Amino acid sequence: MNAEVIIIGGGIQGCASAYYLAQAGVKVIVLEKDWVSRHASGVNAGGVRSLGRHIAEVPLSIASIEMWQNLSEELSADTGFRRKKLINIAADESDMQTLRARERQMHALGYYHEQILDDKELRQHLPNVAEHCVGGVLSHTDGYAIPYHTTSAYRRAAQALGAVFIEGEAVENIRKVGQDWHIQSQTSDYQARHLVNCAGAWADKIAVMIGDNVPMSYSAPMLMITTRMPHFATPVVGAVSRPLSFKQFENGTVLIGGGAKGFADREHNRTRLDYQKLAVGAQNVAEFFPIMKRASINRMWSGLEAYMPDNLPVIGFSPSSENALHAFGFSAHGFQMGPIVGKIISQLIINRKTSFDLTPFKADRFERKVL
Amino acid sequence: MTESLQETAQISCDILIIGAGPAGMMAAITACENGADVIVLHDKPSPGGQIYRNVDNSPLPDANILGEDYTQGGELVARFNACSARVFSSASVWHVGDNGEALFSYQGTTQRVSALEIIVANGAMERPFPIEGWHLPNVMSAGAAQVMLKSDGIVSDDAVFIGTGPLLYLIVAQYLRLGVKVKALIDTTEKANYLKATQQLPKAFAQLGMMTKGLGLLNEIRASGTPCYRFVKDIQISAAEHAKPEQASQVTFQCANETVTLQADQFFLHQGVIPNLNITRSLGLAHHWNAQQLCWQPTLDNWGASSVPYISVAGDCSAIVGAIGAQNMGKIVALNLLYRLDRLKLEKRDELATRAMQDMQQLNRFRAFIDSLYRPRDIHRMPEKSSVVVCRCEEQNLAQLEQAFGEQASGPNELKLMTRCGMGPCQGRMCGTTVSELLAKWRNTGVANVGYYHLRSPMRLLNLEELAKLETVAPRSAQ
Ligand SMILES: Cc1cc2nc3c(=O)[nH]c(=O)nc-3n(C[C@H](O)[C@H](O)[C@H](O)COP(=O)(O)OP(=O)(O)OC[C@H]3O[C@@H](n4cnc5c(N)ncnc54)[C@H](O)[C@@H]3O)c2cc1C
Ligand SMILES: Cc1cc2nc3c(=O)[nH]c(=O)nc-3n(C[C@H](O)[C@H](O)[C@H](O)COP(=O)(O)OP(=O)(O)OC[C@H]3O[C@@H](n4cnc5c(N)ncnc54)[C@H](O)[C@@H]3O)c2cc1C
Repeated sequence: MNAEVIIIGGGIQGCASAYYLAQAGVKVIVLEKDWVSRHASGVNAGGVRSLGRHIAEVPLSIASIEMWQNLSEELSADTGFRRKKLINIAADESDMQTLRARERQMHALGYYHEQILDDKELRQHLPNVAEHCVGGVLSHTDGYAIPYHTTSAYRRAAQALGAVFIEGEAVENIRKVGQDWHIQSQTSDYQARHLVNCAGAWADKIAVMIGDNVPMSYSAPMLMITTRMPHFATPVVGAVSRPLSFKQFENGTVLIGGGAKGFADREHNRTRLDYQKLAVGAQNVAEFFPIMKRASINRMWSGLEAYMPDNLPVIGFSPSSENALHAFGFSAHGFQMGPIVGKIISQLIINRKTSFDLTPFKADRFERKVL
Repeated sequence: MTESLQETAQISCDILIIGAGPAGMMAAITACENGADVIVLHDKPSPGGQIYRNVDNSPLPDANILGEDYTQGGELVARFNACSARVFSSASVWHVGDNGEALFSYQGTTQRVSALEIIVANGAMERPFPIEGWHLPNVMSAGAAQVMLKSDGIVSDDAVFIGTGPLLYLIVAQYLRLGVKVKALIDTTEKANYLKATQQLPKAFAQLGMMTKGLGLLNEIRASGTPCYRFVKDIQISAAEHAKPEQASQVTFQCANETVTLQADQFFLHQGVIPNLNITRSLGLAHHWNAQQLCWQPTLDNWGASSVPYISVAGDCSAIVGAIGAQNMGKIVALNLLYRLDRLKLEKRDELATRAMQDMQQLNRFRAFIDSLYRPRDIHRMPEKSSVVVCRCEEQNLAQLEQAFGEQASGPNELKLMTRCGMGPCQGRMCGTTVSELLAKWRNTGVANVGYYHLRSPMRLLNLEELAKLETVAPRSAQ
């Protein structure tokens, strides 16, 4: 089968890229070894957060948050996005100092979307927060979405524009012959001028097939969700220096994250939970929100996610091969970036350039020049 | 022997048994007789399982009305209580790992136990009965009625019982023997099943006594003068109009080409039992579809060993084998583990298991008869009316599932992520089998190709504070 672009990986990055390419009339095929949205993009915490981003990611994240605001209309399907504000809680004075230093840095760069809260303002937004908390920082535009709904919405919108999705198709071999990429699965051959690596926790293997070595690792961040509780928190909640993260959905269930990792077995698509770490997560939530002590945990799970040593993704052209692009290594915060990453990939293929500075995301940024 | 916590800070054993029904009890007795160090975790205050629940402390003045099968359990429970296993009662297991570890709630905390071998013996559950109105208040399962009777001696007057299968007739008969009035028995067994089942007869003959038990109960019910409607279809349970809160108050159905309507305040449904998969599935054991029993079951060898080393399965959670079958299996599995643990020679294992293996084969023939006689109607497993609720927790009806299927959610997990069907507190117990069968029908393929939900721990709701109390043991070298 032939196309102008072949995308490997049917997560949010692959689906969004396919959508923006198809929208521009480009013929694209997405190859997905399992099913679309089976992995991180279907099971993540759904946090749509621009707050507290690494400086290098801020421009992309802000552009993405703007896209999120009317993404459901754009894709003619409910992504589940709700703009609910996001607050990172300061547990003590040292957290407040961290926040003020960050504010100076952000203002100097011309970013004003993060607003510091004092102790009283924090309680206006989160009346149930524990007494010891002293303040926080808030973003008005952030919120959450339903991961599977968002990723499938991109997929279906892309399909409606002619993109082809092939599920149960694992890429096993990649070669470049002349100008064209030859991509092989167990049963089929595909050919395309452009190749995009959106293979999530497996992207380092695809990178190697393309000719790029990347120091990517992978792990299994864990989540747990409660049964419905009386409403007590509207904004999405995080903490400045603690592994705390949760959100209460409109149906009353509370999704608890916090970055604790389980054990990943990517060869078998399997993960195992680390209950000891989940117990610590439970202690954290209960400490910040005593009301949560009464919560009933309904499900716990984890997903496979790719990490880079600096927790920044790889986005852009392959350093070694013409017409190959990477978008992976989102280090547990790539769901929010999906819309803008898809847009950038389409721009790079169609215009060969983008207005964003992608230097911090280069695939060879870890290469040591001198031994 | 009931354990206290202080003595058992870091618990471990040779064989860990989850569930103290007939399978778990027999496994424990067998393992202890041969010197193994055994721990049993059981979520009820006393052993017995579904059939022998509270047999040693019944709230009823005369437990004999529950039947001979029930009172016979007393002997097994007594043997179990006398064996050397360490038994944790009211200990509810919420995680079993393929590394031989289990986590359980006990006295408001989370405890951890590790074992060389694990026997999962958590029993069966009632098959979901997705018909119009089954989700309404005042509609319960017949099993729930029996649990209330055995545990607390509570009964409901003038209730309507709907469905098929020996357990349904048993509970109705138990009610009648207690002098409780039953409004009606609405029997959904298909006429054609009697014919099909008879074809199994030559094979089942060996167990004639057991075979006639269900039919005997049915005769007992009819002789009592309780109205019995047979070969019933098109059942619809509904609430009175404008009733607040909305609760079931009548049932309408077809019987012998007539439409019948009955009023009642309590409806009990039952159409057989299926393995409770929540432990075996979240453990990631291989499963397959059993077309005779219309249920998923873990794939096991003759000794109950699963696809994961160190994990064996016994009793009704392996396939529906009944109380006697469960005991035999408990014994067989335990003997094999004793061999694996070097406590029995191979020949000795085989010798000791011979009788139980033979009994199992006979019982299986009887099963085939029961399974075809009480095979639930297709329409009662795969609803066709768009308003029928499939997922009760998240209130997803057939129309909503069909729509998501149309939007490319073609497997149980995609469907779950799309609709929340199966995401609620019951962990998909009440809709999982229905969803597998529905998708197979829509995709025009076998249920085996469709699969089941990926399940995870906790296997039941877990209090957050209880989890927070999972105590951390840092390795000494790290301190
Ligand atoms: C538990 C958890 C919580 C998270 N919470 C958040 C959050 O709140 N907010 C946020 O912004 N981010 C969050 N993230 C991160 C976010 O989910 C990911 O960064 C993002 O989904 C990555 O998208 P992706 O498309 O790169 O990867 P994936 O969704 O993993 O998709 C990659 C796809 O590539 C396929 N693939 C791999 N190899 C091959 C091959 N050889 N051939 C064919 N296909 C292949 C895989 O099967 C997979 O489907 C979380 C992640 C996890 C795991
Ligand atoms: C509601 C119901 C009522 C039944 N009534 C009868 C009857 O009256 N007569 C009859 O012949 N058959 C009855 N059966 C069928 C019966 O289940 C079997 O015949 C037989 O009891 C199977 O034995 P078992 O040991 O496999 O499972 P069970 O007897 O079910 O024993 C399993 C035990 O494990 C415990 N358990 C489950 N999960 C956990 C956990 N996570 N942690 C700790 N413990 C756990 C359960 O409480 C249960 O006591 C009934 C089945 C059901 C579902």
